[in-house]
Amino acid sequence: MDKKPIIVITGASKGIGRGMAEYYLTKGFLVAGCSRGESTLNSEDYMHSQIDVGNEREVRKWIRSIKKVYKRIDALVCMAAYAPANLLLTMTSAAHLEPVLKTNIAGTYYVCGEVAKIMMQQRSGRIITVSSMAVGLHEVGTSAYACSKSAIVEMTKILAKELAPVGVTCNIIAPSIYQSEGVDALGDEVIERAREKLTFKNNLEIEELCHVVDFYIAPESKQISGQVTHLGLVC
Amino acid sequence: MQVSKEKAMEIIADVFESLFRTESIESKVDVNKETVVLGPGSPLDSIGFVTFITELEDRLIDETDDDIYLIINDIHEFNIASYTDQFLAVGVVAEFIEKLTEEL
Repeated sequence: MDKKPIIVITGASKGIGRGMAEYYLTKGFLVAGCSRGESTLNSEDYMHSQIDVGNEREVRKWIRSIKKVYKRIDALVCMAAYAPANLLLTMTSAAHLEPVLKTNIAGTYYVCGEVAKIMMQQRSGRIITVSSMAVGLHEVGTSAYACSKSAIVEMTKILAKELAPVGVTCNIIAPSIYQSEGVDALGDEVIERAREKLTFKNNLEIEELCHVVDFYIAPESKQISGQVTHLGLVC
Repeated sequence: MQVSKEKAMEIIADVFESLFRTESIESKVDVNKETVVLGPGSPLDSIGFVTFITELEDRLIDETDDDIYLIINDIHEFNIASYTDQFLAVGVVAEFIEKLTEEL
């Protein structure tokens, strides 16, 4: 069995997920990533799969394929997210809302569930889900996105309690602004209004986000679970 | 390759043995078709039950060389349709496995 640690990252083809995949490859990890599209990341230590995390069946097959190849999973970072355009709740249709809930809530739920089964067997593992500054800011027009990211916090805290007896920790990162297509989709008006409310107004660098993941996956963090780390914002 | 009820019982007994060795359950279980895996009287807590299903799935994959998925909801529905019981016993799981693998 390969002794390199194995990290699974969803939404790994673009944005923060891609940045994290590259970061952990340089740190000597084996990285298994997924996204709906192809990846241009080429490394013999990187395994990419094209799946929709909102499809339970596809998630189940994907996680099994990772288990077949690597035999274990040491860490999971659920980056895959759908950030819709800014709309008032009263203007938000089901067609607008459903992909947000499917990718952000159901997708995180399915991936965590399948990975957790493996971690329960191995009695170790680290799960990191991703919330957002949107949860605390209550910005007009972000109801769909913010409520999905709020649900992730609640889900992760409950999962943290459920998995504590088997030594698996579950924590949450809530980033402020990282320049990416996903954040751009929220629109300049929303981003700049949010930036005004941030404690630290600069865009986040990938190293800052990975630093939090490093902290959560460190062996010394084995009793830190159910926590939310906000970046850029005092909550 | 179909897994017979009898073979499934053997595999289930092996899973219980493994769970005992890895300290997922406190004491050895004398496995028979009435042994409860989910519900009152089960030696498995909720984490133990999930681990039981996951390990059983792994062993069935090894046995059949096929991609087998044990979906808890499917087992539950099979149990309700066949026995309308409020608990799940080893014998029902073995029957479910035999049916699940009959077309392999």
